[in-house]
Amino acid sequence: MRNVVIANSRGIDRGLASCHSCGKVSPVTLGRCPRCGSHLHLRKPQSVARTVAFMIGAVAFYIPANLLPVMTITELGIADASTITEGMVTFWKSGAYPIALVIFTASILIPFLKIIALTWLCLAATGKVPCSPAGLSRIYWFTELMGRWSMIDIFVVGILVALVQLGNYMTIVPELGAVAFAFVVILTMFAAMCFDPRLLWDQVESKFAQEAPMPMTPQTPSTL
Amino acid sequence: MLYQNCPASLVRVTAFSLAALILMVVVASFPFLEMDAASLRTELSLTSASRALIHEGSPILGIALALFTIIAPIVISTGLIYVCAPLFLNRAAPGARTVAKWLSRSEPWNMVEVFLLGVLVSLLKLAKVADVHFGVGFWAFALLMICMAAAMAAIDQHELWDRLEVANR
Repeated sequence: MRNVVIANSRGIDRGLASCHSCGKVSPVTLGRCPRCGSHLHLRKPQSVARTVAFMIGAVAFYIPANLLPVMTITELGIADASTITEGMVTFWKSGAYPIALVIFTASILIPFLKIIALTWLCLAATGKVPCSPAGLSRIYWFTELMGRWSMIDIFVVGILVALVQLGNYMTIVPELGAVAFAFVVILTMFAAMCFDPRLLWDQVESKFAQEAPMPMTPQTPSTL
Repeated sequence: MLYQNCPASLVRVTAFSLAALILMVVVASFPFLEMDAASLRTELSLTSASRALIHEGSPILGIALALFTIIAPIVISTGLIYVCAPLFLNRAAPGARTVAKWLSRSEPWNMVEVFLLGVLVSLLKLAKVADVHFGVGFWAFALLMICMAAAMAAIDQHELWDRLEVANR
């Protein structure tokens, strides 16, 4: 009985799409949302493929972002290029533990966890790993929320470059690592936006359907 | 708790967006940080970080920084006023639905609060080598961040779209 109720109660079974922009529920056959004019889709189109594509880009940039220096500090003629990790270690050694932790969390931990989390979400959405939608939805929400904070290191580089222009005494210039890091953040943000968390719930639905086949064939709605 | 309408949504969105725009003028006119080092004084203003990045050979970073910390908050608060203010008169501004659609998409790119934390980290980083202190711009930007957050929190997507749907065009 439960399966009968579940199988016919979803919008996707009735050809109803919730607009990505304004949330209005309309038949997907309309093509465009009658309220705001956005394209209607039952699920975000090619959600997993696009997420994976952006992620591959992010991983590719992740390597130079961590290996290349983000800025070069020239103090009294002596140039010193530092990577993100080195910047964090400098803070830690000088006893500024809270800032070192902020940098570590924003620049190293969040991008890494984000890539792991999105990979896991994509695997779960395609049914390759077992999936608990409630927990994974929370992980997705967290991923979307935290991603932007990784930009902090880029902003710090920009601020330092602007402030520390003291002629021969001390100058700071940005390096390629910062550009690569900015791309990591931007690409993972796009990856998170492309992912459709409803795919996780679809996996649960299809599992229900497999475990106990429907007693009756569900009626195909005329709108499909 | 079930869903309920956000109280006085339109008034709050318009008021906080307007406050944010006014604060943006203050932010643009005063420095964020002032630094005295080696008998030189340098200032950090709203645009100087992105200008310095463009000047020092990283135009992509400079543009990204300007986009996330200057253009996004201005566009979002202007857009919110454009969409919400005419709704008081039960009217929708021309193209209000398109603007509202793009506003919800541009929200994640507004990184005012991240930039503020960046200013704090830079201050602590420079405290050893120079005498750095906050300018009026920093405090105005902090207020702007609060106003933007309050405006975003006050948006009631359901009510807004319902009103846009029934408003006269």
